[in-house]
Amino acid sequence: MSTSLNIAIAEPSAIIRGGLEAVLKRLPGFRIQLIEIATAELLQETLRSHKPDMLIINPSLPGFYTMQLLKEETGCTEMKCIALLYAVADHALLRLYDDQISIYDSPEEIRHKLERLHMPPEKEIENEEQQTLSAREKEIVVCVVKGMTNREIADRLFLSTHTVVTHRRNIARKLQVHSVSGLTVYAIVNKLVELNDIHL
Amino acid sequence: MKNGKYRETSKMSDLICDNYPMVLVMSRFGIDLGFGEKNIGEVCRQNKIDTQTFLTVVNFLTETETAPVAEIHKDISISSLITYLHNAHDYFLNFRLPHIRHKLTEAIVSCPKDVAFVIRRFFDEYAEEVHKHMLYEEKTVFPYVRNLLEGKKDPKYNISIFRRRHDQIEMKITELKNLILKYYPGPDSDLLNSVLFDIFATEQDLASHNRVEDYLFVPAILSLEKQ
Repeated sequence: MSTSLNIAIAEPSAIIRGGLEAVLKRLPGFRIQLIEIATAELLQETLRSHKPDMLIINPSLPGFYTMQLLKEETGCTEMKCIALLYAVADHALLRLYDDQISIYDSPEEIRHKLERLHMPPEKEIENEEQQTLSAREKEIVVCVVKGMTNREIADRLFLSTHTVVTHRRNIARKLQVHSVSGLTVYAIVNKLVELNDIHL
Repeated sequence: MKNGKYRETSKMSDLICDNYPMVLVMSRFGIDLGFGEKNIGEVCRQNKIDTQTFLTVVNFLTETETAPVAEIHKDISISSLITYLHNAHDYFLNFRLPHIRHKLTEAIVSCPKDVAFVIRRFFDEYAEEVHKHMLYEEKTVFPYVRNLLEGKKDPKYNISIFRRRHDQIEMKITELKNLILKYYPGPDSDLLNSVLFDIFATEQDLASHNRVEDYLFVPAILSLEKQ
């Protein structure tokens, strides 16, 4: 499964920008949408309208503007900022960034950095896990398609609502189905419920 | 696939043959088939369509991986873009979705009654959502922008309101695709496969449509608002 990422590249040199773009697009396991930013003036506006997941930026562009401030002002609080380095840079400057990419990094190194920044650590374990629903998850599907609220499901199955929510999130992830009407199709096809059981 | 961007002097037939989904873009701009050997600029002028807007949209959609650079929206005609988006809505609501529903109903006729029922219900709910989504744009966003173009600013509305509430309308059709692929209990049929292909195509088409709205339309209106 490939990961979708929106990445903005803020770099004045068209050659470096183009080169980095070519490297990023070829990375296996990622589907990357790129946004190019060539000048400092366009930086804020572009971030505000595109809300990328990551920003790879030449540290000379923002100057002494801190990354934290940039994230807040553009409403991209979750965005990761990566410094794009041509040469050795001041440590005090680099502390402002989440990570750094040197123009001599191999595609492999870049891929590791993107993965580390993007994926929550538990994600890799999840991928290994089987994708069919557990008995408990099936019970919850049945309740959901009958139109019960999380609270009602929790009471019926003696769980906390928090646990119900976690189960529902796992169900959606395993089946790639998020809507109640989608789960209904799943439940009917797999004979977990009958049409009469459902509140139509 | 051709390298680089299409220009005014590129042949219309090259564009369409390299990227067949562009036939839909062309028709939404109001260009008919039968354009002969003419180039894009000639065809656009003949049909009184803003060439720059047409080129911006096709170049944006054919370079699928790259979101456009920030200044791209400077030379497009907003009213042409609205006509394009409106025609796309018309296509989805009045042709594409009813057509899929009709075919889908026929394709699942031999599967168990209850399954056919819930699949149809799922589809109808989905179509209803698409209706709401597009109707909001037709009734609220486009009139707002048309007024803005005439210099009338609505103090209570701005395009950022739209940007925040604009959701990915293709998500749920992706669900339908997954459900049929993974769990469809009846016998496979040519008609069902054909519906699946329609669904794949519509999923892509809706995603591109949304991308045009998010990355071309909204930025263009943002800069119009600043003027």
